[in-house]
Amino acid sequence: MRQVRIEYDDQVVRQFAFASILFGAVGLLVGVLIATQLAWWQANVAPYFSFSRLRPLHTNAVIFAFVGNMMFAGIYYSTQRLLRVRMASDLLSRIHFWGWQAIIVAAAVTLPLGITTSKEYAELEWPIDIAIAVVWVVFAINFFWTLAKRNEKHLYVALWFYIATIVTVAVLHIVNSLALPLTPWKSYSIFSGVQDALVQWWYGHNAVAFFLTTPILGIMYYFLPKAAERPVYSYRLSIVHFWSLVFMYIWAGPHHLLYTALPEWAQSLGMLFSLMLWAPSWGGMLNGLLTLRGAWQKVREEPVLKFFVAGVTFYGMATFEGPLLSIKSVSALAHYSDWIIGHVHTGALGWNGLMAFGLFYWLLPRIYRTPLHSKRAADAHFWMALLGIVAYMLSMWVSGVNQGLMWKATGADGTLTYPSFVETLLAIRPMYIVRVLGGTLYLAGFVLMIWNLWKTVRAGSPANAVVEVVVDDTPKPEDRVSIGTVLAGRPLWFTVLGFLLATLFVFVSAVPAVLLAVAVLVVSEIGYLVAKRAAAAGKPSWFGIIERRPLAFTVLTLVAVLVGGVAELLPTILVKQAVPHSGEAQQPYTALELQGRDLYVREGCYVCHSQMIRPLLAEYQRYGEASRAEEFIYDHPFQWGSKRTGPDLHRQGGRYPSLWHYAHLVDPRQTSPGSNMPAYPFLATHRIDVALGARKLELMRRLGVPYADEEIAAAATSQREQAATVVADLAANGVEVAWDSEMVAMIAYLQRLGRDRGVAPTRTEAVATEGVAAGGGR
Amino acid sequence: MSATSPDERKVVHVYDDIEEEDNHLPNWWLAILIGSIVFSFAYWFVYHTTGLRPTPLAAYRADVAALVEARIRANPTSPEAILALTRSPEALAEGEVVWRTTCAACHGQQGEGVIGPNLTDRYWIHGHGPEDILKAITEGFPTKGMPGWGPIIGPERSVKAAAYVVAHVVGKDLPGRAPQGEPVD
Repeated sequence: MRQVRIEYDDQVVRQFAFASILFGAVGLLVGVLIATQLAWWQANVAPYFSFSRLRPLHTNAVIFAFVGNMMFAGIYYSTQRLLRVRMASDLLSRIHFWGWQAIIVAAAVTLPLGITTSKEYAELEWPIDIAIAVVWVVFAINFFWTLAKRNEKHLYVALWFYIATIVTVAVLHIVNSLALPLTPWKSYSIFSGVQDALVQWWYGHNAVAFFLTTPILGIMYYFLPKAAERPVYSYRLSIVHFWSLVFMYIWAGPHHLLYTALPEWAQSLGMLFSLMLWAPSWGGMLNGLLTLRGAWQKVREEPVLKFFVAGVTFYGMATFEGPLLSIKSVSALAHYSDWIIGHVHTGALGWNGLMAFGLFYWLLPRIYRTPLHSKRAADAHFWMALLGIVAYMLSMWVSGVNQGLMWKATGADGTLTYPSFVETLLAIRPMYIVRVLGGTLYLAGFVLMIWNLWKTVRAGSPANAVVEVVVDDTPKPEDRVSIGTVLAGRPLWFTVLGFLLATLFVFVSAVPAVLLAVAVLVVSEIGYLVAKRAAAAGKPSWFGIIERRPLAFTVLTLVAVLVGGVAELLPTILVKQAVPHSGEAQQPYTALELQGRDLYVREGCYVCHSQMIRPLLAEYQRYGEASRAEEFIYDHPFQWGSKRTGPDLHRQGGRYPSLWHYAHLVDPRQTSPGSNMPAYPFLATHRIDVALGARKLELMRRLGVPYADEEIAAAATSQREQAATVVADLAANGVEVAWDSEMVAMIAYLQRLGRDRGVAPTRTEAVATEGVAAGGGR
Repeated sequence: MSATSPDERKVVHVYDDIEEEDNHLPNWWLAILIGSIVFSFAYWFVYHTTGLRPTPLAAYRADVAALVEARIRANPTSPEAILALTRSPEALAEGEVVWRTTCAACHGQQGEGVIGPNLTDRYWIHGHGPEDILKAITEGFPTKGMPGWGPIIGPERSVKAAAYVVAHVVGKDLPGRAPQGEPVD
């Protein structure tokens, strides 16, 4: 026993909280702006402030700036107190803070400039990606160093979630950002097509899991019982839901790729693990809500608790909706539609937003040693936020289901009821206006919070908390065990055995599969009985042992997380047969088409247009034959998209004359009256860097695209020749554009989509293959 | 929800004044956890281990095949109908008979062109799609010396002849009569 005096570093907590509030306001404001642009296309300001460039700015600002900074504030505050020690290094804390803000500013500058990798929530280009990795490692060192210096031996559940966050985000970010740089602001993903899509959504889904969920669960576990002044409901529920959550989440990424060209076994794994995630997710919600049992009357009086309770409830809703949307037949209706947009905002506005507001209203008055300026204003904020979310969610549900049904509606004669895509867009426009109203209400509540907290902060003065605590250093029996005891833990080996049997189950035929399923059941039952007997005998639990050993705990977490990623990514990347390379007919892009493709990426076309026709009858009728994996083998990065505000473009090549594309890009409403697409007239005057063409081919060759030396050497002339055919075609229709204008490159790329060859064929084999001719609607 | 008797509500840990209890897991929650795992094994067994039910891709192929068949029935002279016949050996055999007896005299045994144009190169005067070829066979271009064969050989044999031309002549790129018409992709 010894007495220690600790001064916590609350300055860094304050800084992160203010940064979160500042960037949260920016992120919400951009959100309202882009919602307005979808309802009224006139709100687009080309080229820097068009929807397609601002949408990544909105998502990055909300995820990494608003929630990111809020998460760090919560982690720095609670970690020091749960470990009874100041952060290990003030310097590292400062580097973390200022480094993170510099990254955010870099993102805010580069994204409107069109500097992007086009990988959703990972759009930032490679120099910023490196900075993110460095700052994250600084954070990790500071955190684990603090763990090493701790005065509280046993790690509380909040810290488990922080550990899972730190190690997993590092792995996700590094693998998904692997790319070869072309220039300081342009790189190509080392993965292509199906592999790139799988890596991206393994990342994308787990960014939601380990950036927007696990750290916020950790924050809930600290701040909710603090605010409610009630005991946390169940330690054993924490154990079960933590380990099942971190293990299962990683597998669920392919649910973003249902009905795509991803191999079907991976799609099924994605769907099933998403369904199995329902209970682990609800475990977190239950531990939060049941902590309030016997204290529900406090929710009426205390705005902080209102925010926490509603936030946790939205978490429960979102994590029920997620598994639901992962069911293949539901995904067939909802994917590419606004239902998904509604779903993610249930999470972002409901779970993340309300938890953040609860945190700020609780935290800042404590750090500034003064009561909250106005409880009534905080109450008003709560109701404004809640109404705003409801308007947002309902409008997106209605819009998504409505449009999804219209896309697939088929008449008695077997043809599409709504063959014009614009028709389905015009039908949901009223819902787009309701969304603007909902978002504005939510933003107004946020502004009210800023005022309220500003008044609070001005009334108080900040100070680092100082506490005197008694530290109990007497070793417990749990601490006298060796590393061998950790490795020989029965829960560990029963899990490994059960998992191995389940893995075998996947590969075998019917009869052994039934036997293996029974074996899994028996192993689980024996495991349960053994654990029960050990607990009855009063033996220290294995979980209790590893929760006192951060290194062992971290390694086990990392293993649990890596299993799913390795199982899904490695076969798809390493086994050639997983993605058929029968692509002899598949020609690499020409230099001009690559230039056009980079413009497609720069402008963010993928934000609203997919390039992935799903194997569904209605899509066959609307867009043509379902996309096949081998058609994307040269796509670094893939451009499948995840949302159809406009129609799919995969088989767009050759469907319209070049004049149509010119007119459509200059003024979309000229060819598609009622469209809400931003106009891109500047493409006709901006020039491409022709000299870069050869370097692009060369880099692509290093990534495995088969270009011959002559093709690379002739890149400049080949660009001019191919451009000449587009220019001549346009000139015949009275449109004059320079051959090296961005417009020509873009049209060359668009005319190439879904075809073996582009506008100027270089070879003379026959066409009339089944795949081309059978594409319906041609 | 499981009942919580007072002795179950024991506090197991305290961290920074946060008490942690160790209550039972609610039974309905366990039912969801175990139920979803059992369902997953069953789903895999049905769709992947045994294939008792078709996967989405298999279902899609069946749907498309049914759609194409319905379209062929509704319109036996559509491009889709002609393409479907190119996969039928019987139809191609009948089409070949028509080719040998009716077409080969002017277009050559392989379609390389004699009096009529070369049908194997990539230059076309009147288009090379299945529907263009069928139109040429049935209506012909009387002013250019190609008679309309539709009234003579009948619609059924016309379609099969078109299928044969699509499958075995178009795109062979044989040396023969010099190119005529416009080049195509």
